[in-house]
Amino acid sequence: MIIMEADGTALKWAESSVNKDQRSYQRYDITLNGPLSAGSSRHMVVHTVLTKYLRPYPSHVSQTQKQLVVYEDSHVVPTVHPCRQQQTSVVLPSPSSVESYSRNLKPAAHSDDTITYGPYENIAPYSYDKMLVHYENNRPFLAVTRMERDVEVSHWGVISVEEKINMEHVGASLNGPFSRYDYQQQRGEGASVRSWRTVLPASAADVYYRDDIGNISTSHLRTHVDSVEVELRPRFPLFGGWKTFYTLGYTVPTYEYLYTSGENYILRMRFVDHVFDDSIIDDAYVRIILPEGSRLQEFMLLKLFYDEQRPLLKVRFSTSNASQNVFWSCRDILVKLPYGATRLPDQVHYTYLDTMGRPVVALHKSNLVEQHIAEMEVHYKFDSILLLQEPLLVVAALYLLFLAVVVYVRLDFTISPDPQREGKLRAAGLSAQCRDTQDRRTELYTRWEAAIAKLRATKDAGAFQTSLRNLGAEHRTLTQNMTDLAAKLKAESAAPEILDKVQEIQKLDKQLKEQLQLQGSQLEKLVASKLSKQQYLEQDTVVAKRKEELAARLSSLTFQL
Amino acid sequence: MVTSGTIHYLLTLLNIPIHIRDICVFLAPFFSGLTALATYFLTKELSSDAAGLFAACFMALVPGYTSRSVAGSYDNEGIAIFALMFTYFLWVKAVKTGTILWATLTALAYFYMVSAWGGYVFIINLIPLHVFVLLLMGRFSHRIYIAYSTFYVLGTLLSMQIPFVGFQPLRTSEHMASAGVFLLLQACAFLKYIQGYLSKSEMKLVFFLGLVVVGGAGPQCQEHQPTTWFSFFFDLHALVITFPVGLWYCIKNINDERVFIVLYAISAVYFAGVMVRLMLPLTPVVCVLSAIAFSNIFQFYLQEDENGTKPAVSTDSDSDDSPASNKNLYDKAGKVRKIKVSPTNREDPGLGSNIRSIVMVLLVMILMMFTVHCTWVTSNAYSSPSIVLASYANDGSRVILDDFREAYYWLSQNTAPDARVMSWWDYGYQIQGMANRTTLVDNNTWNNSHIALVGKAMASNESAAYTIMRALDVDYVLVIFGGVIGYSGDDINKFLWMVRIAEGEHPKDIRESDYFTDRGEFRVDDQGSPTLLNSLMYKLSYYRFGELQTDYRVPAGFDRTRNMEIGNKHIKLEHLEEAYTTEHWLVRIFRVKSPGNRPRIPYANRSIRSRKVFITKKVSTHFYLGR
Repeated sequence: MIIMEADGTALKWAESSVNKDQRSYQRYDITLNGPLSAGSSRHMVVHTVLTKYLRPYPSHVSQTQKQLVVYEDSHVVPTVHPCRQQQTSVVLPSPSSVESYSRNLKPAAHSDDTITYGPYENIAPYSYDKMLVHYENNRPFLAVTRMERDVEVSHWGVISVEEKINMEHVGASLNGPFSRYDYQQQRGEGASVRSWRTVLPASAADVYYRDDIGNISTSHLRTHVDSVEVELRPRFPLFGGWKTFYTLGYTVPTYEYLYTSGENYILRMRFVDHVFDDSIIDDAYVRIILPEGSRLQEFMLLKLFYDEQRPLLKVRFSTSNASQNVFWSCRDILVKLPYGATRLPDQVHYTYLDTMGRPVVALHKSNLVEQHIAEMEVHYKFDSILLLQEPLLVVAALYLLFLAVVVYVRLDFTISPDPQREGKLRAAGLSAQCRDTQDRRTELYTRWEAAIAKLRATKDAGAFQTSLRNLGAEHRTLTQNMTDLAAKLKAESAAPEILDKVQEIQKLDKQLKEQLQLQGSQLEKLVASKLSKQQYLEQDTVVAKRKEELAARLSSLTFQL
Repeated sequence: MVTSGTIHYLLTLLNIPIHIRDICVFLAPFFSGLTALATYFLTKELSSDAAGLFAACFMALVPGYTSRSVAGSYDNEGIAIFALMFTYFLWVKAVKTGTILWATLTALAYFYMVSAWGGYVFIINLIPLHVFVLLLMGRFSHRIYIAYSTFYVLGTLLSMQIPFVGFQPLRTSEHMASAGVFLLLQACAFLKYIQGYLSKSEMKLVFFLGLVVVGGAGPQCQEHQPTTWFSFFFDLHALVITFPVGLWYCIKNINDERVFIVLYAISAVYFAGVMVRLMLPLTPVVCVLSAIAFSNIFQFYLQEDENGTKPAVSTDSDSDDSPASNKNLYDKAGKVRKIKVSPTNREDPGLGSNIRSIVMVLLVMILMMFTVHCTWVTSNAYSSPSIVLASYANDGSRVILDDFREAYYWLSQNTAPDARVMSWWDYGYQIQGMANRTTLVDNNTWNNSHIALVGKAMASNESAAYTIMRALDVDYVLVIFGGVIGYSGDDINKFLWMVRIAEGEHPKDIRESDYFTDRGEFRVDDQGSPTLLNSLMYKLSYYRFGELQTDYRVPAGFDRTRNMEIGNKHIKLEHLEEAYTTEHWLVRIFRVKSPGNRPRIPYANRSIRSRKVFITKKVSTHFYLGR
């Protein structure tokens, strides 16, 4: 990982390897921002991040021993040009004890946490002088040996991220026993790692931390304004050479990471995210699972960038080298990365309610450090109508299920007919019709009553006679229907008790109708003054009472049908 | 299991990404749901659908079954009970209808049962018994003939396809009853056919011959731990007293299929009394019969209410006494039936509304108490994972002791993949499942001498144990030690079992009496026997524990489980070293050192003698000559 900058802006550079004095060098040719005129100077900073450069020495320690490491480098930076003055400072992680440091090239001084070499004057090109610093370093020597990061994009609201992480303590290996007693007395912690903090995006929710055998109960989640911090404690402390594996997953809302214009979508997310401070990742496998039906077309530039091994395609990271950014387009899916990575063959991922599977873009990159945490872009096309595919699928499945039930219930699948059962079914149907007819008759009586009430109010005998004729005709039809149904029931002979009830209903109904007619005729008589008011009232009360009784019995009978 | 594999395959086919482990976890609850359904159908066939609903509810709640059906109890028995109930339902249906269809389905369900659980023997004895009793009762009919013949032939053929069963149905005595009844049934049908041609005495002769065949075979049961009354009540609660009522109802109103449930009940009660494990087949029948009892009683008392009639009271005066309610119910039920026979007779003395409401309240209270009991038992006894220990701190917060998984995961991540772990058999499955490492003995080890060898290694002193461990290729030794947190199920408390088992196989080397004090006590403090204090198990459990002070009030090395200060505080290990100990010392793993390739000589004594040069020369000459 190399960053070169001058006055805060990054510089372009090219890389090659050189052999000089039986020693191989990586040579970087840097292009300055502008021409450097005679006599003027330019300040330039080159950052280099080196991984696995510190060698534990001794390589195996016991639990109570301290961890010592050796840093090996050159006292002077080998340059292509002659160098007038150089100074090297080695800054140690803490003002810790230095076991030894090379002093063969004077001046060399050690103060507090810094070892200063130089300044040296007039150094020839490609000069090399071995420097060794042997010092105590108890900082966690954790490394992610393999990380699988799955980003599953859903247009329904959340992007779920899952990281499967193999973690190893790559410091000096633990030699001999591990004593819990010493560990608890805080004498034997050495360079062991008890826990680390992972910083997740501020909108991360539903965080889970588990491994092969279930939830790991030792973790804490803290929510800050701009991040969510998880304190992950593995099941056991990690000593040198010890390994562990865990899965960390969370969801973030889609709208924060997905940009859309019509059917074009851009997912802008980090290629890898924070695992712990100053982390190194040996191998990162990133899979981006796009929604089902993300449109696929001819692949265009894919072939060019398929293989990281081919030198032409080896593109190094540079913050402002826009021309060196990688563009991939495969079948309308376009991946933009801030640095080179290998694209693995596309995969298809199946999950809930998928029919043809989700397209998966798989990427791989080795040797990543914290400075690699940068955003990548995935461009793809997606028809928003496809969002409805999955609900419709469920609807269709349920519809088919219900349809099958309907067909099964309605159709007769028996090989031999069962006349008794069928007769019962028919009788049930007929009795339902009877009930229906009776209900209509009841409704008719209500109208009849209304007509009587109207006569009582208006004393219009002519209108009453007309409505009475209509009602009578209607009643006759209904009664005829009922009689027909009763005849059919009799023919069925499967349900004699229903027939009995229907006949009873017919009888009661006849009486009820008679009562109504009587009531009507009495009222007519009253209107025509053939009856005294007193007499009318007496008779009417009797009739009304009788009517009520009949109606009650009828309704209970009908209910029993 | 095939079942979970099939479910996993089907779900994967539907693109539902689910881990097979999750299927295994939820298989038991899923099948218990199916069991409730099967129980509903069975009870519906026997009585009414109201009783069926009661039975399904009881089945869903009863602790005797939830013990096997909580999520995560991945056991054959959970599935087997479903298969059992479903087979019985289909059998009852087959007897009722007498169609080949239902009998074939019965045979298929029986096949599933055979593949699931060894308890299928119960079915293959109960169904013939049912047929036989029906024959004795003179209830032979063509329906039974069809049902049993189809079931027996198909069921036997199918069960022989299971490798575990093989030809057993033809050889062993457990299956002879079914074969005998099959022959008897054929004979019976034949006799019916030729009844006209034979005299009565000849008929009897043939009949008794058949009897002799059947009588020879009876279900045999190995003696196991007999069931205590406590466990009957614990697992069944109120049902244990209501189920005789249901049984009585069934006997009172007998028909073909009720004979079956009566026989089932009687045999299951007998077996459950003999052996605690057979509580499981008893549970469903208790649910069914209690449901019938409750349903009939409720039906009677509620029906009276609906009709609005006011029957007079005829019960005994003591019916108000609630404590003896079950007895009363029994009596009352008898009178109830008489009333039901002539419901139109309005003059018949009925029950007062007070009595009715009292009975109802009592019944509802029994049901409520049953529910409360079931919930309590399930939450306390059957649903705490033994792998994660939870306790509550003084401020009420929950403390999780996850030491088992900590140790197993350490094993899985930081030992060689082919490492062999020696531990007592209790942890065999857990180590295999969670740590994915080879164990010497596990929960399914039948070879007693193997277990005894591990017990001997644990009970011997370190150097003797080292010989055994070298012979067994042991890389790690795992012990459970509860002395720090007061966990009582640890290896020191199980130690006497190891000693006893080891003594059984190696009586010369291990004697149980050596591990007791002179007064016959098992003590781990300084009065304990020296053999115990120097045994491997003791040393591994208490290694460096003598330095640890768990509490300010007690001296260092105070064992909280046994409330003693340990006797051997300065334990030195020669052939083993501590590899890992979990946070609460619950699991301790020790690494077996490989032997040094030569005896170590102190530096001062090291000197080269001239004679040795000679030997070296000779060897090298020899070497060159060999080339």
